[in-house]
Amino acid sequence: MSIWLEEGVNKLVKLTRIQLFWIVATIEIVMAVWLRISPAIAQAKQDAWLSIFIGGLMGLVITFFVVHLSMLHPNESLAEFSQKLLGRWLGRLAIWPYLTAWFILAGDVLRTFADFVHLILLDSTPVWVIMLMMLALMIYMTLVGGISGIARFCEIAGPVTIAALIVSFLLNLGNIEWHYMKPFYADSGWQAIVKASYPSASFFGESLMLLVIVSYLEKPKKAMATSLLSVAVTILFVIAASVMCLLVFGPNVSAKLRFPYFMLVRTIDIFNFIQNLDIFVIFIWVFGVFAKLSFYLFLTCSEMARSTRIKDWRKLVWFSAPMIFVIAAIIPNEDSIELLQKLWRLIVIPVCAIGVPLILWIVTLVKKEPRHA
Amino acid sequence: MIRALKLGLMLVLLLSLATGCWNLREPDELSFIMAAGLDYNEEGKLEVTSQIAVPAALSGSPEGSGGNKKSFIVVSGTGKNVMDAGQSLQAQLPRTLFYAHRQTILLGERLVRNGVGSLTDMFIRNPKSEMRSSILVVKGGTAKDLLNIEPLFDPYISTMLVREQSAVGLKPYYYRQFLSDALSQTIQPLLPAVEVIPNNRYRYVGSAILNKDDNLKLAGYLNAKESSYANWIIGRQTAVTITAHVRPGKEEVSLSAKALSKKLQFKMQDPPRITVTLTGLGIMTENNSSLNPSKTSDLKHIEQALSQETQKEVQAMVNKVQKQYKADVFGFGEYIHRDHPMHWKSLKSKWSTVFPSLRITIKVDLKCKDPGQTNSSIDSML
Repeated sequence: MSIWLEEGVNKLVKLTRIQLFWIVATIEIVMAVWLRISPAIAQAKQDAWLSIFIGGLMGLVITFFVVHLSMLHPNESLAEFSQKLLGRWLGRLAIWPYLTAWFILAGDVLRTFADFVHLILLDSTPVWVIMLMMLALMIYMTLVGGISGIARFCEIAGPVTIAALIVSFLLNLGNIEWHYMKPFYADSGWQAIVKASYPSASFFGESLMLLVIVSYLEKPKKAMATSLLSVAVTILFVIAASVMCLLVFGPNVSAKLRFPYFMLVRTIDIFNFIQNLDIFVIFIWVFGVFAKLSFYLFLTCSEMARSTRIKDWRKLVWFSAPMIFVIAAIIPNEDSIELLQKLWRLIVIPVCAIGVPLILWIVTLVKKEPRHA
Repeated sequence: MIRALKLGLMLVLLLSLATGCWNLREPDELSFIMAAGLDYNEEGKLEVTSQIAVPAALSGSPEGSGGNKKSFIVVSGTGKNVMDAGQSLQAQLPRTLFYAHRQTILLGERLVRNGVGSLTDMFIRNPKSEMRSSILVVKGGTAKDLLNIEPLFDPYISTMLVREQSAVGLKPYYYRQFLSDALSQTIQPLLPAVEVIPNNRYRYVGSAILNKDDNLKLAGYLNAKESSYANWIIGRQTAVTITAHVRPGKEEVSLSAKALSKKLQFKMQDPPRITVTLTGLGIMTENNSSLNPSKTSDLKHIEQALSQETQKEVQAMVNKVQKQYKADVFGFGEYIHRDHPMHWKSLKSKWSTVFPSLRITIKVDLKCKDPGQTNSSIDSML
């Protein structure tokens, strides 16, 4: 039994399976549709959907693995079972790469969000003001709502985001040109397809945060099906969005666009009347970004608290939030965002989604043995 | 109490931020660009012309006080590139330029002759730009002259130019399609063309072929009839009216063909053989011949004559495009690329020399669904 549950800190915080589903779907879909489509198309051309699919399978494997590991330690989060398995100091050390990764991810998202809003909507508002506004909301959400508040918000933001995606696809049906999907395979070849699939996999590999979240689940035994379904739905919509971009713009133009999905929404023009819908979609998008950022703010605070046995994780918000802001603020340009994404796929995924969980899993198995003997 | 106070304070703080004061822009501080034109002027400098809406002229009834006010103004400025010229354009306007309503981009003849290539970037890069604009070439004139034309039915020429395309049976050609064609491996963009005619009017004159292997320079024009055939092959034509001799003398029949479709068959020889089958279904709208279309044999004769004559004209147009302009506007290369991707790899690099040597066979199959409201020609009954 977890120490913290005994002390009653998290007694009330229990997530339903539906909430888990929407947390994972919301925070993954937002980033992947936003940032992953055009790099995938640039690499794999009209076969980008295939490489996203392969990446998705890798993401599902990662998800399966981390959820399986978490389910071996019911009601304990990463910070707790790593200490239980590896001992106090090594266990604390094991948390470090995760915290670093989550901080960087949150900072990266905050900055990309602010840059995007700055580019598209508020071009004369300083970027830091946009970030500060988001930060204030995040802090409020995390302090007042905690994980259950964030989860409830995801229950709204997730379906709305998916509905927006579906509507934007439907309204674009008239702009589709099927031949843009051809020829299949011949232009890119398996090397390019597989090469382009790994970056996508690294986005879906974000589900390594399930190492923590599964411990909040009401019925931890049901975590596996829900998590896998959630990641699968995310993959489905990312594939659908990239296919729509391909069908409307073709591989050559989509690869050149920085945010092809938003251009897709801008392309909607029905009877010269229903147009300029991008503003609605951006609006809905901000919901998802907000959910994601609040979630990572919570995640870093609660895991730090559990790892260092600070009783009230809320106090740590005043450390985490400025930290995320500082990371977001010191990113000098687009180039370094690309660098951070590289860092994510070359270091974070191998270490946090594969390496450390693998060690923990082996130790779990080894420690279980004597009981049977 | 303190909690409520804190919350209230927070809300006020957020409210003051959330209004987005930095970006406050009222509609009456904007000048809405309805159409943009690009030209090179006599000195060879880039000249950007914008047609800007005058909303005051639109409100109220035409008999009202604002009735004889023009619904738009035309301003132009020169510069190093589009945005630079936009600066000098802005200098003449008290309201900030607003691009999101731009429906049309016009390219002047002199500009097209010099190549459009480097000027396309702004239209996609600028986040305030619009990819929904349609794009046209002004044959033998400047975009500026065309934008100065007093529109007939609509308040803005840009609306008219989009509707004109549908009126002649064309699907409007949008900037994103132009961009996609220009970025594709071998398609040469085929842009609709208009020209300025006396009495402050304009006319649709077919289309302009741009050569994207040479900075999108003008390769040549197709007249209205040729472009309707070319667009039929491309798949952008929705309707076409065909008139053909059916018997010696002045015996002609017209068919308004709709439901146009095409089929392409490839034989991958060296050079590849392409068979283009064009089919259309329509209603007979004029018959000055002695044939009676309600008789099966006569109807067959008419359909054959229509198909044959069209076949000849389409073949002539294809030959012109192939031998004279040497520009693959039909996207035949893309078809081979899509359906024979492995074969394409060897053709891709030499396509510009392969295309003129392609053996293209045209087959036309026109069907008369309905002989119209009378049987044989009224003329023969008199």
